Amino acid sequence: MKGHLQEIDELVDEWVPEPLAAPLTPREQADLAAIPVIIGPTGPKPKLASGKTVVNLATYNFTGLAGNETIKERVIDTVRKYGLGSCGPPGFYGTQDVHIQLEQDIADFLGTEASIIYAQAFSTISSVIPAFCKRGDIIVADRGVNFAIQKGLQISRCTIRWFDHNDMKSLEQVLQSTEKEWRKKKGPLTRRFIVTEGVFDHDGAMSDLPKLVELKLKYKYRLILDESVSFGSVGRTGRGLTELYNVPASQVDMLVGSLANGLTACGGFCAGSHIVVNHQRINGTAFVFSAAMPPSLAVAASEGINILRSTPSILSTLQDNVRAVRAVLDKVDCITIPSHPASPMIHLNVRLPSPTHLLPVASPSLASSSGKPSNPLSVHPRDPEVFDVELEERLLQDIVEEALVQGVMLTRSKRLRGQELTEVRPSIRLNLTAALTRKDCEKAAAVIKAAFIKVVSKRK
Amino acid sequence: MAIKSASPTPSIFKKKSYPAMNTAASYLSAVSEADARARAHGGTPNSTPALSLSSSVTTSSEDTVLHEIFTTVHTEFGHCGNEDYRYTSHYNPAHPVKGVTEQDPPYYILLTTYISYILVIIFGHIRDFFGKRFKHSSYRHLLAHDGYAALNSDFDSFYTRRLKLRIDDCFSHPVTGVPGRTIVLLDRYSPNYNKTFLPTGTRTRAMNLSSYNYLGFAQGKGACTEAVVESVNRYGVSACGSRLEGGTLDLHMQAESLVARFIGMEDALISSMGFATNSTIIPALVSKGCLVISDELNHASIRFGVRLSGANVRVFKHNDMQALESLLREVISQGQPKTHRPWKKILLIVEGLYSMEGTLVALPQIIELKKKYKFYLFIDEAHSIGALGPHGRGVCDYYGINPRSVDILMGTFTKSFGAAGGYISGNKVLVDRLRVYGHTGPYAEAMSPPILTQIIASMASIMGITLPEKSSSSRSLIRNTEGPIPGVEYEQYPGKAPVSALPPWMLTPSTMVDGSEGLTRLRRLAFNTRYLNRGLRKLGFITYGHDDSPIVPLLLFNPGKMAVFSRLMRTRATPIVIVVVAYPATPLVTSRVRFCLSASHTKEDIDTLLAACDEIGDLLDLKQAAGERWPLHEIITRAVELVNMEEVP
Repeated sequence: MKGHLQEIDELVDEWVPEPLAAPLTPREQADLAAIPVIIGPTGPKPKLASGKTVVNLATYNFTGLAGNETIKERVIDTVRKYGLGSCGPPGFYGTQDVHIQLEQDIADFLGTEASIIYAQAFSTISSVIPAFCKRGDIIVADRGVNFAIQKGLQISRCTIRWFDHNDMKSLEQVLQSTEKEWRKKKGPLTRRFIVTEGVFDHDGAMSDLPKLVELKLKYKYRLILDESVSFGSVGRTGRGLTELYNVPASQVDMLVGSLANGLTACGGFCAGSHIVVNHQRINGTAFVFSAAMPPSLAVAASEGINILRSTPSILSTLQDNVRAVRAVLDKVDCITIPSHPASPMIHLNVRLPSPTHLLPVASPSLASSSGKPSNPLSVHPRDPEVFDVELEERLLQDIVEEALVQGVMLTRSKRLRGQELTEVRPSIRLNLTAALTRKDCEKAAAVIKAAFIKVVSKRK
Repeated sequence: MAIKSASPTPSIFKKKSYPAMNTAASYLSAVSEADARARAHGGTPNSTPALSLSSSVTTSSEDTVLHEIFTTVHTEFGHCGNEDYRYTSHYNPAHPVKGVTEQDPPYYILLTTYISYILVIIFGHIRDFFGKRFKHSSYRHLLAHDGYAALNSDFDSFYTRRLKLRIDDCFSHPVTGVPGRTIVLLDRYSPNYNKTFLPTGTRTRAMNLSSYNYLGFAQGKGACTEAVVESVNRYGVSACGSRLEGGTLDLHMQAESLVARFIGMEDALISSMGFATNSTIIPALVSKGCLVISDELNHASIRFGVRLSGANVRVFKHNDMQALESLLREVISQGQPKTHRPWKKILLIVEGLYSMEGTLVALPQIIELKKKYKFYLFIDEAHSIGALGPHGRGVCDYYGINPRSVDILMGTFTKSFGAAGGYISGNKVLVDRLRVYGHTGPYAEAMSPPILTQIIASMASIMGITLPEKSSSSRSLIRNTEGPIPGVEYEQYPGKAPVSALPPWMLTPSTMVDGSEGLTRLRRLAFNTRYLNRGLRKLGFITYGHDDSPIVPLLLFNPGKMAVFSRLMRTRATPIVIVVVAYPATPLVTSRVRFCLSASHTKEDIDTLLAACDEIGDLLDLKQAAGERWPLHEIITRAVELVNMEEVP
């Protein structure tokens, strides 16, 4: 026994742990240092630490509500009445009347029975999914879903089947094959969900909602739709995809959105039936175990909804700006835009003149197999897009820096490379805003175009 | 900041967004002059006058400004002028923190507790059985229909439907106004046995022992609120994006560097939600091949984060250092499962103060173990930061341990600072890595400007502020990147905040500058904490936790007593709101009431609470503890003595 103890002591002495954190690589450090710091308020034309005032196409301010005077006034009133923090989780006296009001406002705005608010947008969907989807349940998800959804899927421990990014045909095939599989196994009836996004965070593509609803009804699935980007940015008054396609929001079982992106407040929400919402009040981890949203920010979101309701011109201005920018950038040789023409979030991929040199592996094998569906068990599609991440990221970073010199603030879409389930093509992400004039947008687009051309041609 | 005259209208700010740097400095000197003048007149004592007197303190016209800043609203932050009702929270090595001291109730209490659970469960199943057959409509969501599986299984939701529903009137009560010393309840009633609640339209102001408001910074008036209002005027309410994608404001940088200084670490990063601080950043710390050793009572956010990280997890008995050591020996000698390769790294995650138990982490022992077993230490200070220690810097401060001997200190701003969100602090290499590799940096919204301002203002008022002219010596405590040199740096921590660390437009009244406001808050909280803990024990209640824990759990055991206790408290002549918790947040038999104390409570508030507990405790047969008992009036009159005792016999 004593010898055994000694042995353990020796093992303990011998063990050398890895360092807790490896230092960043010089490139990562440079990237971190290159992140612009805004001095004073953010908005369409913020001032940077360098003293320069720039046109901001990087941050989410679709509706231009950032810095809105009415919202500020209401927020100040609320701070004086409620203080700042809510000082408790919703279950323990943290639910204030303004939270209840906001939940009501969201539900009314979208036309659902009820809604529930979470304190951070990113944590909303990763909490909503595991609240409903348990081990043994089936989820059919898009291959291009955002990181927050990926984390929700991971936590849920469901059986996951993947369909090709934004491809309704592939979705139907997967639904059929899953159905077949289930019939063969003669398993019990389990909960089945389709999880996808309205406007995709990864590339700005837009889901075909009517088709989604048709398929979900046909195959008896429940639909979890993440409208983090599309809520407050598409549709006549910013209600999102349901408004754009004129689909009743009640057809979407769990409609998740962000109050931070669309309404420039903070937090996220999930709208749906009373049963769906009440279930989350006890089972939504990030709802139950977190302090409620600060009351003043709940009021900011409520006021934002009010403004959107009464001012449809905001969304039409935004669409004008989208068209103006697309008109300039669609025709540039060295840019590919995977985003939907109506999406105010525009992803710009760099298109290199001859991409073939990037493919050392002969492509015939790929070509021959294409046409066959991808394996729904694997998150990777059969014919993945081939690109050189490092090269493209470097070029895009050069473009970002070049545009900044010309007075336009852009950002690469920052991704946790290696942690995302699929490798996402590097892009620059423009977030247009209704707060800029058409002229400003055109000018900015011209700057972006010039920066792309300059950087790409320099490479040659 | 009644000194509004100095600040032009918001529209002017937009164009000329930065006033000269010396505005704050010159204001500060004006403030200290005015303060000196007031002292010379003998009008105001050294303590914060408005905390002690009624809100209508006014003297000569030029000083009015200052007094208005001190003014607190009695319902938000109780006035308490008696300097005896203060205590300093600190560790006494003569009485080391014990792991867990659980007292068992008499057997009949345990027996009846089990019986009542069994009864409720049997009734629930009977009702489910008949309900599903005869009342189809109300069970629709629990049954498969039209080819859809039930949204939630009746088994999973049984506890919620059949046990929690019975006492649902004690949860999620809507409130309004400041969650300070008192809180306003929006009265409601249920026409259908708690299925739904309808507002009655009336309101009740109740004494608040439920909110996490340790230092009483939940206020609609005062220096912090004025700073927040000013920040909304200047910045609006949003940073509009994630930190790495253009959502970084100067305020973020200022807040992060102040937080690092407050905690005594090299660097800190801020995340916009407390829960997400753990759930999105732990995955960047550990991964496959690493081991996380976790206290069994760790918060859900930690478990969420660890699950996402893919690391292995081992759990040890709550606060049991022997169990921890034997586990460490086992895991290090055994290595990874199956392969038996040595672990890449081992991360021990504990909380500073456990929110359900009121227990403190046994940090000195853990630091000893750390030296021997070379694990990394992560302390979640969600509840302890601000609430413990002579300077309010959390458990390290409480035990007098150099914070840099801990690898990662995490905490939230919700509880002590009246704000929202959380932070992670550590050395610069680590924090920079987390900025890039945490999920928060690229994906989650950055923290809003008003929240950042609340954090800066409340922290500065706890720290005190060094004015420019005398800053030369103490300013060297500013982030020292040369690496931890324990002896040298520790002398400088915990220091004041240099005025240059604050936004130049933030106005700082003299009580904030000298740190007296913050100190009063800390000392009032420490007094209230010890008084209630010891008072309840002297009354004969079974309580858990440490005497210096501002969370005081009082054990009820029988589930039925939870609702009765909560309702009796809420319907007293002076209504009191408290939180009751039971399974699954606690073990099945140990249902409890949780009191959350605050600096905003006065000694008389605690007296009222003790009287209420005394009465209800007799009614519900709760006084089951062994030990010497005092009658209520004796506790109230000998409060100061009780608090200052080394240890209660």
